[in-house]
Amino acid sequence: MTLTRRMAMLALASATTMLLAVGAHAADQKLIVIITPSHDNPFFAAEASAADAKAKALGYTTQVYSHDDDASKQDQLFDSAIAAHASAIILDNAGADASIAAIKKAKDAGIPSFLIDREINATGVAAVQIVSNNYQGATLGAQAFVTAMGEKGNYVELTGKQSDTNAGIRSKGYHDVIDQYPDMKMVAQQSANWDQNEAFSKMESILQAHPEVNGVIAGNDTMAMGAIAALKAAGRKDVIVTGFDGSNDVRDAVLAGTAKATVLQPAAREAEYAVELADKFLKDGKTGVDEKISMDCVLIDASNAKNLDTFALKG
Amino acid sequence: MTVTGVAIEQQSQRARSSALLLLLKLRTFIALILVFGFFAVMAPNFLSIENIVIVSKHVAINAILAIGMTFVILTGGIDLSVGSIVGLVGMIAGGLIDYGIHLPMFGVIIYPSVFELTLMALLVGALIGGINGILITRLSVAPFIATLGMLYVARGAALLLSGGATFPNLVGSPQLGNEGFPVYGDGRLLGIPYPIIIMAVMAVIAAYVAIRTPFGRRVYAVGGNERAAALSGVRVNRIKLAVYMISGFCAAVAGLIVSSQLVASHPANGETFELSAIAAAVLGGTSLSGGRGSIGGTIIGAFVIGVLGDGLVMMGVSEFWQMVVKGLVIIAAVVLDQLQRRVAASRRA
Amino acid sequence: MKSDDPSIILRVEGVTKTFPGTVALDGVDFAVRSGAVSVLIGENGAGKSTLMKILAGVEQPTAGRLLLDGAEVHFSSIRDAAQHGIGIVFQELNLCPNLTVAENIFLGRDLTRVRIDIDQSAQRARTRELFKRLEHDIDPDTRVGELMIGEQQIVEIAKALVEDVRILIMDEPTSALSATEVEVLFRVIDELRRSGVAVIYISHRLEELVRIGDYFTVLRDGRVQATATRETITVPWIIRQMLGTEDIIARRPPKVAAGPAVLDVADLCLPRMTGRMAVDHVNLSFRSGEVTAIYGLLGAGRTELFESLFGLRSGASGSVRLKGVELAGRSVTRRIKAGLLLVPEDRQRDGLVPNLSVGGNLGLASLRRFTRYFWLSSKSEQSLLSEIIAALRIKTPGADAPITALSGGNQQKVVIGKTLLTQPSVLLLDEPSRGIDVGAKAEVFSTMRDLADQGLTVVFSTSDLKETHAVADRVVVMAHGRVTADLRGDAATDEALVLASTQYDPHSVAA
Repeated sequence: MTLTRRMAMLALASATTMLLAVGAHAADQKLIVIITPSHDNPFFAAEASAADAKAKALGYTTQVYSHDDDASKQDQLFDSAIAAHASAIILDNAGADASIAAIKKAKDAGIPSFLIDREINATGVAAVQIVSNNYQGATLGAQAFVTAMGEKGNYVELTGKQSDTNAGIRSKGYHDVIDQYPDMKMVAQQSANWDQNEAFSKMESILQAHPEVNGVIAGNDTMAMGAIAALKAAGRKDVIVTGFDGSNDVRDAVLAGTAKATVLQPAAREAEYAVELADKFLKDGKTGVDEKISMDCVLIDASNAKNLDTFALKG
Repeated sequence: MTVTGVAIEQQSQRARSSALLLLLKLRTFIALILVFGFFAVMAPNFLSIENIVIVSKHVAINAILAIGMTFVILTGGIDLSVGSIVGLVGMIAGGLIDYGIHLPMFGVIIYPSVFELTLMALLVGALIGGINGILITRLSVAPFIATLGMLYVARGAALLLSGGATFPNLVGSPQLGNEGFPVYGDGRLLGIPYPIIIMAVMAVIAAYVAIRTPFGRRVYAVGGNERAAALSGVRVNRIKLAVYMISGFCAAVAGLIVSSQLVASHPANGETFELSAIAAAVLGGTSLSGGRGSIGGTIIGAFVIGVLGDGLVMMGVSEFWQMVVKGLVIIAAVVLDQLQRRVAASRRA
Repeated sequence: MKSDDPSIILRVEGVTKTFPGTVALDGVDFAVRSGAVSVLIGENGAGKSTLMKILAGVEQPTAGRLLLDGAEVHFSSIRDAAQHGIGIVFQELNLCPNLTVAENIFLGRDLTRVRIDIDQSAQRARTRELFKRLEHDIDPDTRVGELMIGEQQIVEIAKALVEDVRILIMDEPTSALSATEVEVLFRVIDELRRSGVAVIYISHRLEELVRIGDYFTVLRDGRVQATATRETITVPWIIRQMLGTEDIIARRPPKVAAGPAVLDVADLCLPRMTGRMAVDHVNLSFRSGEVTAIYGLLGAGRTELFESLFGLRSGASGSVRLKGVELAGRSVTRRIKAGLLLVPEDRQRDGLVPNLSVGGNLGLASLRRFTRYFWLSSKSEQSLLSEIIAALRIKTPGADAPITALSGGNQQKVVIGKTLLTQPSVLLLDEPSRGIDVGAKAEVFSTMRDLADQGLTVVFSTSDLKETHAVADRVVVMAHGRVTADLRGDAATDEALVLASTQYDPHSVAA
């Protein structure tokens, strides 16, 4: 492009942004921006839609984005939110260290951030950090797993994306329980990056290397689904599978008997609670609660699976 | 040294460089044998028939993509959109099984049979490839850019189809007449899983086309010297359009297999598949500048990558080391390729 | 031209062709007769290639018409023209280097079984037949990229002979061929002529033209300047029509006496993998102020000699001293810095950067001359470029024109100009006059003389005897990698040179 054309485009882009900002400001309603990981995982989709619904119910306008676990993309979304004069940001972040700068930037611009699901490694920057007690949930899941295995046997652990703190927390929770049982032997541990296809493929290979496997404990439900498909393809009906998240897919698997349990993260409830706190903060100037809030997870097994829908437990 | 002495010296020099050249030409095949041997020793149960079948099944998906990719790269182009096509076609197939085609004006929902939806899926793949081809030939968009754009468009379309959700449980039902989808991933013929058979059949046909048909010849010519090809009466634009359609078609096949073996279609399926396909082609001796490469080499390349990945998993090696090894293998492949060309050139001098 | 001459099978009437910025052809009338050789002559840029491209279907005329057998025709593509029986051998080789000889020859018209299966053995057999006719022994399965330029040109000719042609256009077919190969080609052309084919022949080698042509047309600046027949044609007449002057390239005597030896080559060897030597223990010295011609046939080792001197061949051994400084083992950049420059044989592949402009190409080797501190000074660049463009009379719309817009001869001048701008002390030119017309040749040789008079050492290689007389003070003859003669002045007769160039290979097994 020639220089003049480049300047013209720049001018056009700036003008448009300014108009949009003005437009957003001119609207009487306040704006809440909701940023989560990619919605192709129903867990994050559920968070986003719960927050969205709650915010609209409280009278806000909303914008919903996903950062795809890319910290720089998240950064750019924060810039857009600041430019759009958002009143608050609801965030499920893209990295415990990498996100701190963006949240601070928003804070300095007068926009408070309300974190859900994943923490950051700093306090005093975000207004609130609501996390599922991943550790507690993991111990619940691990206990159910050990019981189902009869407290002995060979198992495989499928861990999540290494850059996600929750992957580590859950794995620790699992091991703190399982390692107490000397007859439980871990024959393989592989990361499947929260991905169903990867879990499928890796599970198939692991089955070949270790046909003596009796159980699979997965860091999240999508990986559990991948493992279940691999086990089915190999005709292994005898293997115990548990997951984590509380998705509809694994609920169905539990009801069908192909999975034993999963752990519900009250994703929908967390998101709603975050919006409620944001509302309080904007009206009163403070939330009235501690920054770090932990919400307990619930074990889902054959007894209560039928009450679970889209990350919310009824009844 | 006497005259005979000089001659003998030169003979042995020649013999040495012949041996070196042969080694370099067969490097991918040698790599495959080495990698196989390594894992046979280091990974438990690696050499069992069942495992080899499983590994081949994993390789098949990448190999099928790589076949289409090879044709594209031979013309000097590249197709970055195949991964997204895998996802999109999987979603289309899944949606057709779970929800069928809604015709509100007739108040009817049509559930196509597995055969019908397979045809539709393949058509969609070829069509998207065709759009890539038209962007590249008619609108002169560089292949990298055109297919990069399509990567995003197709991925976005896949996500839009379901709002990000998965289409689960693609078994179909007898009343709707759409049972049988899982057969692509699970089914076996004479004990061999279908993905492997599909890969083998496609590889044979592709190799034949590349070596023995005028079309194949012209693909190589376009990659070697586009202008000379045009002046020899080759319809360069048509050839280019055809190879992108082939690539899209292959991606559709892969998409059907992936969704079939998971018995679910997920909009993120196929992410980064294009890179593995390119790696397989390059490992197999395909030159990114066009005109050089072979289907056979690509298949071997796909096996090297696949065996490497699965073997490392079976050994329990961490994710991170797997990435490092993969990267090193690809770099080594290109370096050896350059070495081969230099040795061959100095022999002619 | 008689309009009712029955032997005229193709007639060009009032054809005009314009490109943005230039008029390539302006109202040209041209007749092609079957069973005869029609020769088209002209300086570079006169329009010869353009006219031929129109006849072959590569380009379409802006105005005017073509009449084949009296009926008007329009060729939409090469295949279309080929279907009407018109074949063309291009000046710039159009071969796919990654395909074999047979595959190149049959590209676009493969022999097939059942339309989808290529009959490779049939193609190989046909290829061998064609090469037998051209009396050349090239393996049909060799990759074209591995052949020397001369062999590639033979493949290009073979391509045109595959289908039965009624009109065969040959654009500079002999520029890379040796004398023997040219004889073979002329026999083939004779054979074609006798079987009724119309041959259109374009070449700069005037002695060849007068031997082979029946009808002569001279183009100048896109218009027909004059025509003649075999009976009346002479070389001086051609030159006069092309350029407007009578002089053949007259040799200017050197202004200064030759100085001390500047470039000393001792025991230079470059082995081939076959066991032979491409350069076989060559010992030579070159003096400043002198122009030396290295004469030899295709394969004699001239290009290999130059490339070894310039540092392009890592297998070369021996000593190369420039002004006493040993260059053997040094990189090309070092040698350029030391003042040794090479103008390569294949300008398209080795001499030009196609995406740069004329000025960009000219300045490529000498950017330092117009660099101030860290940036390129466009003022000093422009003035140097205009100087060179004027001195070599390069026909270009401007220094900013894309290099691809220039004709072959002018592109060659750009390559030479690029090396001259580096102010070398030794200038090596490999076949500098390949594909250049007489006028440009004269300028190039004149420039070589000027440079020698300024103290440069100029060495050029050629396979054209006339050129050796045109400017050289000394002629070195090579055959089979060795120096077989080193002659000056009157001793450098055509006979002596030819004898020296055809000496038998000392290492070959007796036939």
